Amino acid sequence: MKKILFQVAGVAALALFVRAAYLVLTAPPDPAFAAANHDAVVARLDHLFRQAAYSITWAIQLGYLAWVGRKWSGVRP
Amino acid sequence: MKRAIFGIYAAVTVALMAWGYYQAIYVAPNDAMQGEIFRIIYYHVPSASVAFLFFGISFAGSVCFLAFRGSHPTRAQIADAWALAGAEVGVVFCSVVLVTGPLWGRRAWGMWWTWDARLTTTLLLWLIYVSYLLLRRFAAGPQMQTLAAVLGIFGALDVPIVYMANRWWRTQHPAPVFFGSGDSGMDPSMVGALLWNIAAWMAWGLMVLGIRYYVERKRQKVTEREALEAIGAL
Repeated sequence: MKKILFQVAGVAALALFVRAAYLVLTAPPDPAFAAANHDAVVARLDHLFRQAAYSITWAIQLGYLAWVGRKWSGVRP
Repeated sequence: MKRAIFGIYAAVTVALMAWGYYQAIYVAPNDAMQGEIFRIIYYHVPSASVAFLFFGISFAGSVCFLAFRGSHPTRAQIADAWALAGAEVGVVFCSVVLVTGPLWGRRAWGMWWTWDARLTTTLLLWLIYVSYLLLRRFAAGPQMQTLAAVLGIFGALDVPIVYMANRWWRTQHPAPVFFGSGDSGMDPSMVGALLWNIAAWMAWGLMVLGIRYYVERKRQKVTEREALEAIGAL
């Protein structure tokens, strides 16, 4: 059970990392100030970057938890 | 019994995390100037607070290790395990700070990074503790723990400098949220969400710290038993 939980944490961390990278790398460029849809694009960019920040936070935390779990399994009882 | 207490603590922590997320996304209002990107603060500031606390634990563990290493070997090993666990989990939280900060900076400032005092001292803190962990991973011999303890103490000296950086110097980094000057701080409608997230990340951090400490103590005991077996003492 413990081992499975740590493995799930590792997979979730990887998925969240990929999600964060995808959100940032595929984000549209900053709009020109005079653009008609300026505010809408800025709001969309803010949303994407906020989501990326939350995703990468959990990717780091769960990735570390998975690493500690792996280390735990490696210590002989 | 211990397992049940840990289970309850983990369940409370997960509930706190969910409540903190709800507060950050659905309860706290958007910042009038920054819009939604401001909400990164609800993960960024708590992570920095927890990192500071854990580097403090590493500092205390390092001091205790140096104090006990000649007289109380078991106490010294316990202190060393706390020092390692504090440094390692502190680096994890500091990494979160150094990743979420630039994501906010890219939207708020239009750039990922700037070499201002707050950012630079935080990066330096992270580098010092990463070198601490590398020393522990790759150095061998009886002096390794002592050298690591000394490095851990020097590393912790950077924590108050990071904390005071945007009070002592003019920085691009925003003014302090708490305990700053009169024109700093945040709107009362946002403070609740921040405090909930600080509580949630503190609970999460303490749980991970406890697990890491437990694993390290287990490893120390296995190593000790193997050493005694090797010299025929067991």
